[in-house]
Amino acid sequence: MRTTARVTVPIVLVVSISLFLQGHNLPGGGFIGGVLTTAAFVLIYVAYDLDYLESGVLGREVEPGTSIFEHRTVTAYRRTLLAGLVVVLGSGVAGILIGDPFLTQGYVHLEGVPIYHEVELASALAFDLGVYLVVVGSLLTIVSVVSSE
Amino acid sequence: MDPNLTIVATAVALPFVAAVLSPLLYRVLGERTGYAGAVVAAASFGLLATEVDSHGTVGVSWVPALDVGAQFTVDGWGLLFALLASGIGVLVFVYSAAYMHGEEGLARYYAALLAFMGSILGVALASDLVFVFLFWELTSLCSFVLIGHYTDDDESRYSARMAMVVTVGGGLCLLAGLLMLAVASRGALGGATFDLTAMIANDEAMRAALRDSGLFVPALGLIVVAAAAKSAQVPLHFWLPNAMVAPTPVSAFLHSATMVKVGVYFLGRVRPLLMSPEWVSLVATLGLLTMTVGSLLAVAATDTKELLAYSTASHLGLMVAGFGFDVVYGGEAGAFHLLNHALFKAPLFLVAGIVVHEAGTRDLDDLGGLWRELPVTASITVIAALSMAGIPPFNGFYSKELLFEAAYEVAHEAGGLAWLYPAVATLASVLTVVYSVKFLALFFGERRAPVADVHRPPIALVGPPAVLASAAVVVSVAPQLAVDVIVQGAVDATGTGEAELSVGLPTHFSPPVAMSAVAVVGGFAAYPFRGRLAAGVQRGVDAPIPVRPSGWYDWIVSTTTVTSARFGPAVHNGLLRRYVRWVAAAGSLLALAGFAAAAGPLEIGGIGGIGVPLAVAVVLGVATLAGAAVATASSHVSGVLTLSILGFMLAIFFILASAPDLALTQLVVETLVLLMFLLVLQRLPSFYSEVRPLAIARDAGVSLLVGAMAFVAVLLTIPGPDADPTSVAAYYTEQAVPGGGGTNVVNVILVDFRAFDTLGELLVVATAAIAILVLVTMRTRGEAAVTEAGEEPTPDGGDSP
Repeated sequence: MRTTARVTVPIVLVVSISLFLQGHNLPGGGFIGGVLTTAAFVLIYVAYDLDYLESGVLGREVEPGTSIFEHRTVTAYRRTLLAGLVVVLGSGVAGILIGDPFLTQGYVHLEGVPIYHEVELASALAFDLGVYLVVVGSLLTIVSVVSSE
Repeated sequence: MDPNLTIVATAVALPFVAAVLSPLLYRVLGERTGYAGAVVAAASFGLLATEVDSHGTVGVSWVPALDVGAQFTVDGWGLLFALLASGIGVLVFVYSAAYMHGEEGLARYYAALLAFMGSILGVALASDLVFVFLFWELTSLCSFVLIGHYTDDDESRYSARMAMVVTVGGGLCLLAGLLMLAVASRGALGGATFDLTAMIANDEAMRAALRDSGLFVPALGLIVVAAAAKSAQVPLHFWLPNAMVAPTPVSAFLHSATMVKVGVYFLGRVRPLLMSPEWVSLVATLGLLTMTVGSLLAVAATDTKELLAYSTASHLGLMVAGFGFDVVYGGEAGAFHLLNHALFKAPLFLVAGIVVHEAGTRDLDDLGGLWRELPVTASITVIAALSMAGIPPFNGFYSKELLFEAAYEVAHEAGGLAWLYPAVATLASVLTVVYSVKFLALFFGERRAPVADVHRPPIALVGPPAVLASAAVVVSVAPQLAVDVIVQGAVDATGTGEAELSVGLPTHFSPPVAMSAVAVVGGFAAYPFRGRLAAGVQRGVDAPIPVRPSGWYDWIVSTTTVTSARFGPAVHNGLLRRYVRWVAAAGSLLALAGFAAAAGPLEIGGIGGIGVPLAVAVVLGVATLAGAAVATASSHVSGVLTLSILGFMLAIFFILASAPDLALTQLVVETLVLLMFLLVLQRLPSFYSEVRPLAIARDAGVSLLVGAMAFVAVLLTIPGPDADPTSVAAYYTEQAVPGGGGTNVVNVILVDFRAFDTLGELLVVATAAIAILVLVTMRTRGEAAVTEAGEEPTPDGGDSP
């Protein structure tokens, strides 16, 4: 189980990010990417446990006995959730600042970028990033709090 | 001249603003807040008085698609009511400042009173049905707060609830009736509108449209029920005497002069719109019945305020009856009596307040000979009570005479049973004289019981009723003056044709004059027998058979309470499975009923033409098998795994049906769910316990119901296989690349075209996360509390522990 997780989790994470990025033109998007990222984290939880992310990956000391609500990872998830909401609202309000209605989206084509030659930059991507963050943050908050019960 | 929108809107809004500020005002002014309220009322009165000569509708649009707007109609009828409300408002606020001396909760009292006055002005002037309804219910709400002013008193709370249930229930009938009017306006006026003035201007077309759609009688019935509930008409009159537990200024203001007249007012307002034979038989009969029953109960009353309450119901019946008759005199009687009744009934209530304030009792049997201590109050009472009795030349006589003329004319034209109208009206008037004299007897004759020393009332208590009584004297002496100033406008607005109102003392003998003579002479003749009369009425009231509507009310309320107390534990017993069952079954049943009501015969167009490819058939077949396997799985592990098979099959189906985004989402979510199940699986028992066959049958029934609902919903909502994409779908497909800059239409819709929806969904997701966080925190806390209290927590598992 742990070996499988070790191999698959990085792949799943990369796929989820690529799904998120290509969402505007191909199947994918913030929601799907977010859920897939969550799935990767849950896989880690199933294979190891809640503290593994901190102790094993980040190499930090985990204080034993603290309640799940003060747990550092859960706090991080909550912050992710809030950051997502801020990004979503911010991308909506940004439109107002340049005179468009709330949540208006636009896009520009950038040409001559190295490697990619042409990149389309849509403001919807910022909105989608918010979606991604909210989905990841809230699902992981739920999962970790519920699973710790 | 068109009315000035700013002035009218300010006059209506000012009391509301003051109501919001009244806690602050109370902090600064203390008990003198009453005088501040009087200033506000005077300001509204002054603003409205400047509009006396204007006529018309002004407003701003709010929902143009439905033609809803903040519109105000200024005409004689609305102004009469609004001026009456604000004018009496000034006096009641002054009176309150003295009467409520040393009471608790005055900030709330004044806030409710001010908000009430604003709502009454709103009802009187609003032209838009939505606003009429809004202000109508606001008056009920303020009345609830004011009746329940003494929050520690059981009787006060009971009465407040009763008034609330009856009047707000009536308000719901009004809402239904008004919606019917709005629906009919679509056909009659070429577009749905909520503008009552426009409807009344095209009353012929509106009536025809209502009759064509079969809504005329229901709309009429609902509006009359609403007005009857508000204006205390039989059999919904029982809340009014109970409402007398409110402080006396409230009784004088709400429950005699203004709020109870809202129903009468609205009947007058829609009278030109709904006038028909049904209207006459319904409204006139209702009014005369109330007039008689109210006066009978008033004769039997033993309490000053109870007597006045029943007499108010009786006089409201007089107005309703007046508006019920489809002759010119009828509308004149209703409009003129609205003014006269306010001028004599409000001072009588205020007098009753003075008596209870100074003599300390409201019992009619204990009171008598008070004129020695309260000479000014006694003279006010003489004027007001004789006016209430309809003795010439006091003002109440003129409007009652108009009702007699209307009743006589209707009876003369229709003949037969219609002769009951004048007969009943005369009988009620005889009784009116009896109870008016009974009230007057408070001040004359001998002392009946030793009453503690009676003080002289302060000027703030005597002043307001004196002002009203002087107004009554003015109208008595020069009735034509009042008619010219305001009443003629009200008659024009409520009448169905041209009418020139002229009033005065009768100069020659006519049948209505004879009716008045019979009423006065009969009343004085019957006065000595009032004891026997009261005993007879009391026997009728005490009869065990349900002649008492308040008995029905108590029965309905207690039965509802008991039923819901039983129903609650059946639905809400703490077991999650029970909740799911109820929600799923009730939701499916409601949806199916909705489909059955709205769609009629099923149109199964979508199914015949679909040739199912082999691959799809195989995938769906496997999914069905998996579904069956889930239901019969013997352990959680096998259940979860088969459920996943079902989910993955659906994902494959989405791929086959060329919906890659859906497939991807399904796949990812399915994986996540599977992982989560694995996470919690070890905590669940590995096998199910034995289940009862009955439970299986019940659950299977609920499942079938849900399945049927989903099936029917899909069948009805999907377009046929050959149907063109809807215009919305076509728009999204065309605009995705140029408008959103992306070739994935689904995602462009999510993040661009319908980004606002997505934002809402994100908020839901975030809220869910926070809610679960809080729930988990609170759960441990709750368990700790329960354990401390020594109770077992509700088991959350039931059949499968």
